[in-house]
Amino acid sequence: MGVLTRQGALLLALCALDSVMRVGLTHELSGVVDLRAVTSDGQQSFLDGGLGKLRFDEQHDGLRFGQISLFYRHDLAETLKLNIDAITYADGDSNAVDLTEAWLEWRPWPRSALRSKLKLGAFYAPISLENRLTGWRSPYTLSWSAINTWVGEEIRTAGLQYDLDWLGTKHGSGFDLGLTLGVFGWNDPAGVLIAARGWAMHDRQTVLFGRIGDLGAAPVNGRTLFEEIDHRPGYYVGANAHYLDRAELRALHYDNRGDRVSYSARIDDLAWETKFDAVGLVLTPTDHFTLIAQWLRGVTYIDPFIVFEWEFESTFLLASYERGAHRVSLRRDWFSMEQTAGVPPWNHDSGSGWTLAYLFELDSRWSLVGEAMQIDSTLTARAAIGAPLRERGRTLQVALRYLFKTP
Amino acid sequence: MMFGQLTTSVVRMKWTGVNPFTLLLVACCGAICAQAGDLHIVITDGKQNGMGDVVVIATPLGAGAALPKPSAAPATMDQRNLEFVPHVLVVRTGTLVSFPNHDVVRHQVYSFSPAKAFQLPLYAGKIYPPLLFDKAGIVTIGCNIHDSMVGFIFVTDSPWFARSSAAGVADIAQLPAGEYAIELWHPRQSDPLARLRGKALVDASGVTSAQFTLPSLRAAPNNNPSKKWAY
Repeated sequence: MGVLTRQGALLLALCALDSVMRVGLTHELSGVVDLRAVTSDGQQSFLDGGLGKLRFDEQHDGLRFGQISLFYRHDLAETLKLNIDAITYADGDSNAVDLTEAWLEWRPWPRSALRSKLKLGAFYAPISLENRLTGWRSPYTLSWSAINTWVGEEIRTAGLQYDLDWLGTKHGSGFDLGLTLGVFGWNDPAGVLIAARGWAMHDRQTVLFGRIGDLGAAPVNGRTLFEEIDHRPGYYVGANAHYLDRAELRALHYDNRGDRVSYSARIDDLAWETKFDAVGLVLTPTDHFTLIAQWLRGVTYIDPFIVFEWEFESTFLLASYERGAHRVSLRRDWFSMEQTAGVPPWNHDSGSGWTLAYLFELDSRWSLVGEAMQIDSTLTARAAIGAPLRERGRTLQVALRYLFKTP
Repeated sequence: MMFGQLTTSVVRMKWTGVNPFTLLLVACCGAICAQAGDLHIVITDGKQNGMGDVVVIATPLGAGAALPKPSAAPATMDQRNLEFVPHVLVVRTGTLVSFPNHDVVRHQVYSFSPAKAFQLPLYAGKIYPPLLFDKAGIVTIGCNIHDSMVGFIFVTDSPWFARSSAAGVADIAQLPAGEYAIELWHPRQSDPLARLRGKALVDASGVTSAQFTLPSLRAAPNNNPSKKWAY
């Protein structure tokens, strides 16, 4: 992000700190401490300069630091709320603690079945149906689907989102409907990661002022992803429908309107023109059972001297069963990325993944999560580093999580 | 009515909405004549399963039917586990309703229904003054933070009302003897504004029983316990 946004974020953080000092009824501070026991046979992780698709590769066996997150909420007024989510992964990123999202939400009281909402700041576009908890956490698995992993890596909108909802369930109907329009900047490098590395599956969000791994770079010292390069705003439009609490359907079209010839010397990158369509469906056919399906297909371009083009697509299905303190989830992912223009050798990525997770809530604060994941992929860019093109990366992780909340 | 006589009447009733249907009212009147009687109503679906959350209103017919003064007893619409409890509350016009929040998260309860439009920000564990519901009608309530929350407050001018239990039973006690208009309403009926209307003759002293069969309702939410994961 630019210097102005850095200062703005610092100001927001200082405001937050000041507010925390005066904790009252309208302040909520919560967070998660997440420690892991990990065993993995994956290739060198993309976070450590390799082209492996896992966060923890075979060099990471043992006890690992999952994350510490802090979520701060403050009611500036009855209908105006400040939200700041900070995180540390302690893995060598630019800042020891950084922000994943920071936004103001204005949600006026409904005076009729139509309600408007406005968000201003840096936040996620409404794509993921997995990451439903505070701080963009998932209640289902430790590692997210390929689609939502990529959203967490490359997609963040610094700008404005307007929602218009029709509150049908308050109007004698079983349906609630909504429309979303977002206008944003600082997402011009989006696409660089999917073009170079293809898809991945993990739980590491890229922080607003940090970096992500790159080929040959020191751990988490690669690309900057949130930067305004072409001074041209992007947009997304979306729609959603809920039927009682039994079904939710979402669709979104995203286009960062990147000017593919614009170059930033500061981050040594071009503006990537990235656009995609995303559709998601959640079904809750019975009290304890949830099914989620998401699909995303897009394309990204740069034009340094000739046009480069990459097409990408992914789908996942997730089934989750919950009973009391227990939850079991199984997910199947499919993904592909195909370079279709540019200088050879053209990059190609295809594969699939299985994820099985079990969550046990010991009490309202402590929980244990066990996850077995396997991701099979063929990525032709691995030839450049002499790594096998095919990877079967497997991880077993057990996370001990502590959730805290004030007051 | 004669002393000791058992009367059975069959009454034909209609929805005031679009879909007319037939309903059976069987009234078994008590044995001893006196000033007041009880109304025992059983509401079932087409398969004889009891239907809960049905609002039952009894209004005396006839010009001389004076209504008792409004009850001062306040009512409560609780919030627990991201739900309104009860899902349906019936109160008489002029009742004060409090909205305690027993969740660990805050709620912003509102309604834009003409009978009572209001906004009430509710923080966990804090006590707020109750609201006065002084106009008859159906008040649909929601939470501006948790859109899946929905509840209903049915405000009636009649002092004789009940909400059916999960088994489909609604009891109204101590009605003065006489003829009553009976209204039934359920939040998931196909026409949300319609009323099922009928009549019942409440015999003095004893219990007047009636059975109603409601047409099929719209699908219900799952009452999904995994809502707690929304925290």
